[in-house]
Amino acid sequence: MELINRYSQAVGFWLPKKQRDDIIAELSEEIRSQVEDKEAEFGRKLSEAEIAAVLRRLGSPLVVANRYLPQRYLIGPVLFPIYQRVLKFVVVCCLVLPILAWVGLMPYSAGRDAWHSAGSLLAALGSCWGSSWLSAFFSVGVVTVAFAIIERTKAMAKATDDWDPLKLPAVRDPHLIPLASSIFDLIFSAVFLIGWIGCLGLQVVLYVAGAKVTLASSWPYLVCGFVLVLLANIALSGANLFRPRWTRVRAAVRLAIDCAGSALFCWFLKAGILLDIAVANVPQAKESAIKDALNAGAARAFPLAVIVSAVIILLDVRRLYRVGSTGR
Amino acid sequence: MPNSIQMTDDLFDQLRLELRRGCLVMAVLGQLRAEHYGYTLRLALTDLGLAIDEGTLYPLLRRLESQGLLVSEWREEAKRDKRFYRISAEGKRMLGLLCVEWENINKSLNKILQKG
Repeated sequence: MELINRYSQAVGFWLPKKQRDDIIAELSEEIRSQVEDKEAEFGRKLSEAEIAAVLRRLGSPLVVANRYLPQRYLIGPVLFPIYQRVLKFVVVCCLVLPILAWVGLMPYSAGRDAWHSAGSLLAALGSCWGSSWLSAFFSVGVVTVAFAIIERTKAMAKATDDWDPLKLPAVRDPHLIPLASSIFDLIFSAVFLIGWIGCLGLQVVLYVAGAKVTLASSWPYLVCGFVLVLLANIALSGANLFRPRWTRVRAAVRLAIDCAGSALFCWFLKAGILLDIAVANVPQAKESAIKDALNAGAARAFPLAVIVSAVIILLDVRRLYRVGSTGR
Repeated sequence: MPNSIQMTDDLFDQLRLELRRGCLVMAVLGQLRAEHYGYTLRLALTDLGLAIDEGTLYPLLRRLESQGLLVSEWREEAKRDKRFYRISAEGKRMLGLLCVEWENINKSLNKILQKG
């Protein structure tokens, strides 16, 4: 019977003090009755192994004790879906965004000169990744504690009780093109096009605020490319304004325009577009330094431009897939 | 194939458990119209075809007692202290209501299942 006492003690460990003795006494009585019945059936005392088998069938002390306890949770079923969403958002903000920002800002970092090998670059990235994890753990902890407090104070109960069906958001139509977005696209493209053609044009030698700026020979090609992209954008935005729904063709055109625009912009950053800057009364060495700094600044923005372009293109591809999969 | 059989068995066990959960309250209240302690109550229910394990029965008894549907007392029997349960007046009233509800559900289910 010593084994039964040990089992009862193990169950009691998990029970609240107030109910412990009562529950243990009843449970022990149940086990002893079972053992007695078996002993009467076999006509002998049960061995320790046989008593252990009875206890094993009852379940582990923690499981048995848990059945007597009320259902408890840190974050209840009503709050949990919101908690899950907030957690996903926090994890993305803490883990993905810092890495993207790090990659984007890498060219401007003071330590970039030290990253002369792939190993040192990876070590720097690892350090950024490590600190991101730390902030992610901290943020997840803060969010969990905040939700646990909301759960304990039953703050959500009022919100769920007082809900009004009339305040539900309108049904979201993923194929609808917002009017504001079309108008913004149209105005932005038109202003940019007029400004570009009016002020810059195709010429490679410009006079800006008393300075003579000579551009690379690739400049006219870039201008022609940007003009075509802007014209296509104006046409698409115009069409979207009057028929504000995404179709397969329109989503494909959007993708093509964004691919072309991204490629042109990345080329523009990498092209070393400034050939020469000449300003009166400024030494040639200083002019050259200004030109090199501007070209280098543009080149350093290249990785960030690639990331932004990739995100835009991925969103376009997703839209095309979504429109295609619904057969419109 | 064995996997799908296993899944079907698991699903059946889960659904059966859900179906039994509500019935067990009625069975326990009904059986405790006569006084029992936990072990004999379990044996009686098993004999009547409604086996119930200790891990389900004892917490259920405590819950029903805290809801005022059962009363209990510790008494010595066969040289051992045992906790005897019986249905309370409120428990009898509740059992009556549950029986009516059970009858209604049973009638409705019979109609639904016969239609199929």
